[in-house]
Amino acid sequence: MNQPPPGQLASVSAYPLRQADGQKRYHGNQLVYLHWENHLMYSAPFCVPLPPTLPFGALVREVLPELYGEHSEFESIDWQRTQWFKSEQRFRPDFGKSLEHHGLGHKCLIRFRTPALEGIRRQVRPGIQAY
Amino acid sequence: MEPRATKKKLSLKERYVAMTRGLAWNTTYQPMEKVFPFDRYEGIRIHDWDLWEDPFRLTMDTYWKYQGEKDKKLYAVIDAFAQNNGHLGISDGRYVNAIKLFIQGVTPVEYGAHRGFAHVGRQFVGAGPRVACQMQAVDELRHFQTETHAMSHYNRHFHGMHAPGQWFDNVWYLSVPKSFFEDAFTSGPFEFLTAISFSFEYVLTNLLFVPFMSGAAYNGDMATVTFGFSAQSDESRHMTLGIECIKFMLEQDPGNVPIVQRWIDKWFWRGYRLLTLVAMMQDYMLPRKVISWKEAWEMYAEANGGALFKDLARYGIREPRGWKDACEGKEHISHQAWALFYQYTHAAAFHTWLPTNDEMQWLAEKYPNTFDRYYRGRFEHWGNVKRAQGRWFNQYLPMLCQVCQVPMIFTEPGDPTQICFRETTYSGMAYHFCSDHCKEIFENEPRKYVQAWLPVHQIYEGACYPDDINPASPGDSPVREVLRFYGVQAGLDNGDYETSEDRRNMDRWKGKVATVEGAE
Repeated sequence: MNQPPPGQLASVSAYPLRQADGQKRYHGNQLVYLHWENHLMYSAPFCVPLPPTLPFGALVREVLPELYGEHSEFESIDWQRTQWFKSEQRFRPDFGKSLEHHGLGHKCLIRFRTPALEGIRRQVRPGIQAY
Repeated sequence: MEPRATKKKLSLKERYVAMTRGLAWNTTYQPMEKVFPFDRYEGIRIHDWDLWEDPFRLTMDTYWKYQGEKDKKLYAVIDAFAQNNGHLGISDGRYVNAIKLFIQGVTPVEYGAHRGFAHVGRQFVGAGPRVACQMQAVDELRHFQTETHAMSHYNRHFHGMHAPGQWFDNVWYLSVPKSFFEDAFTSGPFEFLTAISFSFEYVLTNLLFVPFMSGAAYNGDMATVTFGFSAQSDESRHMTLGIECIKFMLEQDPGNVPIVQRWIDKWFWRGYRLLTLVAMMQDYMLPRKVISWKEAWEMYAEANGGALFKDLARYGIREPRGWKDACEGKEHISHQAWALFYQYTHAAAFHTWLPTNDEMQWLAEKYPNTFDRYYRGRFEHWGNVKRAQGRWFNQYLPMLCQVCQVPMIFTEPGDPTQICFRETTYSGMAYHFCSDHCKEIFENEPRKYVQAWLPVHQIYEGACYPDDINPASPGDSPVREVLRFYGVQAGLDNGDYETSEDRRNMDRWKGKVATVEGAE
């Protein structure tokens, strides 16, 4: 018997596909991962359950302040200049349209970058970065 | 005097053969492959099991004798430690949190190792390795017990130690060691030995034991030190099993080399990720520092491991694929992990704190390339927040890596300001990873990892609430109820050390007047 090719599991009998985390398990929500680039005071990106029908504007007005509101740079964010990424892919959100409409499905990763607000990239004093 | 007729005594080697191979036989009522169904399916070819050499040549009778003697000494010290209130001799009450991490995250892993070795100790056709694995199975069970006993004295006096088994099965950061071991003992027997005996015991074990045991010695914890001594001779036997097993597989058939290499790549990385918890403990949780994680990595991984992989090059084995990234990570992972636990300590079962000024000075000296530049700012900021508005806790759940299950705290190789994201799709679903190496592990065996029990996702599914709770009802606090489900006593087992009951008790026992000194 040889080593199975990548993607196949060596096993003594048929190995069933048991996929955890299916969207239907989240009570009408989907999981969304959120990350504010350069702001590593929050040591990891967040995972939150949100309705697929949530308008993008509500994500910005209601969800993000909950998650990031304590950060001193949060109030200064200019949402018009914010850059949005679906994983690596840049996109321009329509604040009136839903997550679904933007193709932001279950377990999607939304990253945003706020030019001029650089968090960890900013120096608080020589050699010491901000948070 | 007449010479006494003596029965010829067996030599050590003969006795070993008699007590291992001499006890094995080839089955006749049933074919061998039915009796040993797990021996072949991984693709490893063994042509001659008799070439297996066990340099220890330890047989069961000697094993019982040695272990019995060691246990007598160990339990004498444990008793003395308890009778003399040994916990009052430790450097600082914060130290006990390192022991909590041990009893929560390491001790259950000993039990996992016991299960794994008991399984493979039945499954190999070769009697030599079967006996070696059976003895290691007993060792691991003994370590589980002796660790539990050695640390039980602390459980009488401190929070965060009363339900490690329940926590191991549920709590988010303990899913890291739990899933590591479940991955290992659901592998075939050859992969299990590569994972645990070689990659973990041989390549990485010094990075687990030295920090904890030297840390215990430096911080006045004689019970744990004595456990360490008692386990040490077992560990060297385990390491020997690891290297023998690898060499045996590689020598038996050239076709085994690429299979073993893939396992080494996988298990080196999985072990390295698991050791993030140890790195953090070493740099942040020991009030009296031993050496930094970076120094330990350089000594035990880079120097020893480098020599090992040079030695294995003659078999066609190269260093694990994640090696360079792990070496880069030595500058970062302890700080990234402590920042994580600092902000989620209210959802853990141990205390955290801000490093003192002196401790930050030590970190800056030990990490001249990274601490001041990337990490000091965060700790100073949290100190300012604490003075102005009170201790900050992060209230929202983090995203986890699908494979190692560590929250996504690790940064991009070459750029410590950017979180490292990797992603793939399998059977219609997106999967996220902390690194190229966790992604590669997933892609080699996606069906294994799509089953992962990720604590954050499970909480959102509703799987981590007590039965009497409806998480959707407004009166119930989800975090409080999840902690209740975990069996963690909110505010007693967790939160900042400064305001903890552990600290108040410790101060009282040592006759100190409790002060609220700034940790910053």
